[in-house]
Amino acid sequence: MRKLATMLVALMVIMTTGWAGNAGAASKAIVIDGSTTVGPIAKSFASYFMKKYKVPVTVSESGSGNGAKSLINGSCDIADMSRSMKPQEIAAAKARKINPVANVVALDGLAMIVHPSNPVRALTEAQIADIFSGRLNNWRQVGGPNFPIVVIQRESNSGTQETFKELVMKGRAVVSGAETQASNGAVKNRVSQTRGAIGFVGLGYLDASVKKIAVNGVLPSAATVKNKTYRLSRDLYMYTNGKPAGVVGTFIDLPNTPDGKRIIQELGFVPKY
Amino acid sequence: MNLGTRKLLDRSFTALGIGSIVIMGLALLVVLAPIVSKGVGALVFRETIEHRKLLSTEFHRGDGRELEKEIALSNGYRQKAFDMLAVFDQELEQMTPERQEQYRESYDQVKTALRGLLGPLPGDTDPELARNRYGQTRWDKAEEKLRELLYEQKWDYSNPDVIAKPYDVSRAPGFAGTSLVRLFPYVEQNLDKMLLPEWTFYWGFITDSSIDAHFFGGIWPEIQGTLFLAIGAMLFAFPLGVIAAVYFTEYARDGFLTSMLRSANSTLAGVPSIVFGLFGLAFFINTLHVSESKSVLAGSLTLAIMILPTIIRASEEAILSVPKTYKEASLGLGSTKWNTIMTVILPAALPGILTGGVISLGRAAGETAPIIFTAAVSVGTAIGLGDVLSSPTPALSWNIYNLASEHEAAAQIRHVQYGMVLALVTVVLLLNLSAVILRARISKKLKG
Repeated sequence: MRKLATMLVALMVIMTTGWAGNAGAASKAIVIDGSTTVGPIAKSFASYFMKKYKVPVTVSESGSGNGAKSLINGSCDIADMSRSMKPQEIAAAKARKINPVANVVALDGLAMIVHPSNPVRALTEAQIADIFSGRLNNWRQVGGPNFPIVVIQRESNSGTQETFKELVMKGRAVVSGAETQASNGAVKNRVSQTRGAIGFVGLGYLDASVKKIAVNGVLPSAATVKNKTYRLSRDLYMYTNGKPAGVVGTFIDLPNTPDGKRIIQELGFVPKY
Repeated sequence: MNLGTRKLLDRSFTALGIGSIVIMGLALLVVLAPIVSKGVGALVFRETIEHRKLLSTEFHRGDGRELEKEIALSNGYRQKAFDMLAVFDQELEQMTPERQEQYRESYDQVKTALRGLLGPLPGDTDPELARNRYGQTRWDKAEEKLRELLYEQKWDYSNPDVIAKPYDVSRAPGFAGTSLVRLFPYVEQNLDKMLLPEWTFYWGFITDSSIDAHFFGGIWPEIQGTLFLAIGAMLFAFPLGVIAAVYFTEYARDGFLTSMLRSANSTLAGVPSIVFGLFGLAFFINTLHVSESKSVLAGSLTLAIMILPTIIRASEEAILSVPKTYKEASLGLGSTKWNTIMTVILPAALPGILTGGVISLGRAAGETAPIIFTAAVSVGTAIGLGDVLSSPTPALSWNIYNLASEHEAAAQIRHVQYGMVLALVTVVLLLNLSAVILRARISKKLKG
């Protein structure tokens, strides 16, 4: 009994002393919450920042809406968002004496993806809107095989979903039978496993497991997003409370540094500056 | 009923019992075998020289001189492949623009696959992300990448009326007549000499921090976070639960209030864990402000509330099962009620109480939903004990979910996810085991 207790205490002591060193008690951690689209950038920036400046950074990916809520509640320093803040969110923040400032991190394209077995190569915006509103429900109607369309959307908390609705749906409602997934990764996963599926993800999530579709004749890529020929593009933000200063300021400034730009490019996103 | 029927019934019941135990064992095997076999793959695998480079650069581990020799050896073989690329680059320059265009896309794919295998090619700018700085660190993955280099997966879209099927096309014929065609058989035959695979036991998977969002490195911050959260939850819930159980069994009078409290307790046990998670966010973080943002403290408190009903119920049962005679003897000797509870009832009930604690501890370690909003982050460093009051932490259960669904490169790092699952199962098993041992010792002491 006593031996066991001693062992437990010893374990605790090892944990505290052995690893307390790298916790960096000297400076407060930067807490980041929000969009899963911005997640890869935030995570890579965090690794880079922790290594270079020895400041601990934590990243959670809970969606743009939750990021905004966290910032309003004062429980994060930086809110990743794949859409801009809504007026009511800004009002809620102001009521709590929080002043949200938008900082653009990168540009991103909203890539429409289908299963690689799908022969359809291109859709127009109108066709996409018809598919997502349920007016078209078979791939044959858009020049593909006779196969039902499985529509995959994001949850209401997602900034990607809001952007999609704004850019493509323009006020039309998404069909009620649409499947809802909670993150970019989950959408990609679902589309790569479902033959009739169509969904949308950020550029950084594209890989060989899904097929990207040309919209209005333009394929999404870093180049077409940058020169604005790909229409479904948007800014990615990191919101802060007030103008970022101190370590948070240094962090927010990363997209302007050469290293930061390279990170954004390597992840498949498009540097803004 | 005659004797024959009785015997038959008896036997068939025995057979049924044995049968269900066998089925349970099989189910356990079906669940555990893949967890163990795939999870071990994160620790024991054929590491390539890229992995040794990574360990040396990122963790300053390994024999530097030996590594330099190996690098020189593998570079000898790599250089030949790079030379082939350089020759083809020159050839490409002399071609007509139309022919250049014909090769461009396919050539870029070849280069990308080669980068995936060997790391940055000569002439590339130094990548910033660790995932691009190194080639394949695992031989099994390298073999997959080699396939990508040798073959291109195409989809047969010839018939637009049916869903297409994939087929593989060898890349080499596409470069027929150029110098690059020699590259494919060369890499296929000499890949092992370029990567020098060796069986290894990567213990750092348990003790290292992750590098570049779990692409490389280990899962120590997650393991530590899980331990902190589970132990923290027990620190709050165990004393509270036992005290509540003592109140229910020894002090509370049977009445409306007590029965209400009891049913409230039972209801609490059935509340879905995500509700506790949201409650934790709303109450501990946004209302009480126990910490400025997510923290181990807030997560532990939330988990504590979740496991409290189980502990109360188990402790109640344990206390009730202590023979009445113990209590009567103690009181009859002139002991006070409080003294009786502390010195007679609780020690006798302790093994049972601990069982409840063990079950709860395992549950606290494995739950995801309550910590999503209160404690868990997808990337963060290992925290010291001094930081538990204010810092959030990565935790196994949440990061398994994150890697399974949200991570941008989930398919490439499945082995990390499997390793985490194995680690979580092992952590829960070890926590349970230590409690079982503790329990056995106490029972022995009580008897002896």
